[in-house]
Amino acid sequence: MPHTDPAPFSTVERLQDTFAAADYIADRALALTVKLAADLGKPMLLEGEAGVGKTEVAKVLSRALDTPLIRLQCYEGLDANTALYEWNYARQILHIRIAEQDHESRAHLEKTIFSDQFLLDRPLLAAIRHPGPRPAVLLIDEVDRADEEFEAFLLEILSEYQVTVPELGTFKAAHPPYVVLTSNRTRELNDALKRRCLYLWIDYPSPEKEREIILRRVPGVKAGLAASITTAMQALRRVDFYKRPGVAETLDFSRALLGLGIDELTPEALLDTAGVVLKYRDDIDRLKALGAERVIAGDLDLGER
Amino acid sequence: MSAEAADEFLSRTLALCRRAKAAKIDVTPGRLIDAFRALDSIDCFNVEDFRVALRANLVSSREEEQTFDRVFEDFLSGVEEARQYRPGIRGESMQGSLGHHYKEMDQEVLTLPENFSAEALARDVDLMHRWDAAAPPIEQAVRELARRLATRPSRRTREDRRGRRIDLRRSVRRNTRHGMDMVELARAARRTRKTRLVMLCDVSGSMDAFNPFLLQLMFGLQQALKSSRTLVFSTQVTEVTALLRRRTVTETLREIGSTVRHWSGGTNIGAALAELNRGVIREGAGSATVAIVISDGYDNGDPRLIAREMETLRRRVRTIVWINPMYGASTFRVRAAGMRAALPFVDHFLPAFDAKSLKIVVRELGEI
Repeated sequence: MPHTDPAPFSTVERLQDTFAAADYIADRALALTVKLAADLGKPMLLEGEAGVGKTEVAKVLSRALDTPLIRLQCYEGLDANTALYEWNYARQILHIRIAEQDHESRAHLEKTIFSDQFLLDRPLLAAIRHPGPRPAVLLIDEVDRADEEFEAFLLEILSEYQVTVPELGTFKAAHPPYVVLTSNRTRELNDALKRRCLYLWIDYPSPEKEREIILRRVPGVKAGLAASITTAMQALRRVDFYKRPGVAETLDFSRALLGLGIDELTPEALLDTAGVVLKYRDDIDRLKALGAERVIAGDLDLGER
Repeated sequence: MSAEAADEFLSRTLALCRRAKAAKIDVTPGRLIDAFRALDSIDCFNVEDFRVALRANLVSSREEEQTFDRVFEDFLSGVEEARQYRPGIRGESMQGSLGHHYKEMDQEVLTLPENFSAEALARDVDLMHRWDAAAPPIEQAVRELARRLATRPSRRTREDRRGRRIDLRRSVRRNTRHGMDMVELARAARRTRKTRLVMLCDVSGSMDAFNPFLLQLMFGLQQALKSSRTLVFSTQVTEVTALLRRRTVTETLREIGSTVRHWSGGTNIGAALAELNRGVIREGAGSATVAIVISDGYDNGDPRLIAREMETLRRRVRTIVWINPMYGASTFRVRAAGMRAALPFVDHFLPAFDAKSLKIVVRELGEI
């Protein structure tokens, strides 16, 4: 997707159009939050149920702005080395052995082996050193999975946008990246980190929005089928399943039906493809007990026990 | 906007932010400044944009978003009297259905569960009286419990001079100063993998006698494992994790007392487990989670529901521990129907009613 709008952040409407051009339907609150994040230079913290498109925001932002997406996937035990930078030891040793044969001076050697060419950028440093012209998009995904120590370290980076490598000096971001943090709320984040960020809870889409997402993202689906998929998904979300289906499931479901050549959603079709939508056996049993016809009809009392 | 009108607008906005702070939203000076900076980049005459811009800057959780929206609605409709806001028990039930005319009365009605018991109606509990400052310290027993339950060796390593493995990467780096000749070796040992803890505490009337122990345990475990989450239940479920992080015990107890309106209510263990399974556990537990239930097992719900939800929980977490203060004494027979229904799914049943008995049962627990 080429970068078309020269100033996508000037108004909320233009930002919404930019997102739409990248096939992402952003509601006004999301577009406004993205705009504020750019204007204020603050990171965004996005929370929401799994599969509502939190990670997608960062991907689309980078596509729409035609700037690289730098992704840091958090996990338990993630440490500063993996996130920031590392020296390329193997190359350093090789270089030293060669330098020995060339009788290079010690001072010179020391200077070369700790130079840029032996530095491996990890996501955070890469985002800070991004040369521009537009800032990169830094996605810190599932930050709640990382340890608390790492969060403190992250806080420091996100407030200064600078990193010191002892052997090389300090790098300060010429173009501070757009930062998107996502969290699944497996634990409470550090208060200080939360205060640094603009917060937005992303909810399941409204029926109109969901229909539009299907039509846009799964070409080939007819309007009638998209409408009945939407009705069924909205009904399913009213049931207290262990895992409620998100937008990702809606899209998988639409693609599955399309692939099977089904143009009309019948109870049999729903039950045959239930595994695409519901991911636990208990939930599928529950669906059978509730009755697939009621789901397709969009029964409003479906959630009642 | 004229200068006067702008002044008026800004001071009204500030009043709104103060109102948000009074509603327990963490409005700090830094956030306030950013919120006002945000006004520059939006169209302030668009009420919706104005709300979202302020909200994004001031809140940091979904519950706070909802609180802010309520404060905002009230502010717009000119409700001036300072009112005590408190977060809803489960915020979702309130948002959509309330629409624009939120009233305190409606909220009370809407949050009443179908199976409420009369005692569960709103009340302030003075927990200070139930906090026993002179109780023997529980920290040691809790630390031991946390260590047994919540740590296990990870595949990853960390630096450790007495470690058994040699860490090549660090060795190389350390020996650059010796011209890459391996003079000293860096060693590594396995990291300890921290487990997440989810605690479900029974605060119904039948547990009143054990409140001092319960509160101690809640504090102790939350302190020992900072990433754990604590929920209390009687006929409703309330998460108190954030409240347990307050600086002082007094502050925490006051907060919990005014937030948890169902303290000393009836018991519905099955419903509480169901909410746990669909809430905190669904939000991403992973196999490394340990669930601790602290309850006497006396229940006025359906034991079959308990069995079903325990079975589900069993599949979602690594270990289920049940601490039951009732059986700490001499009678060891399981009479409560709820307890009987749950027992087949419990990995470790700990009869403990104070710090001392907890220490003893934890010692018997063995490595998990």
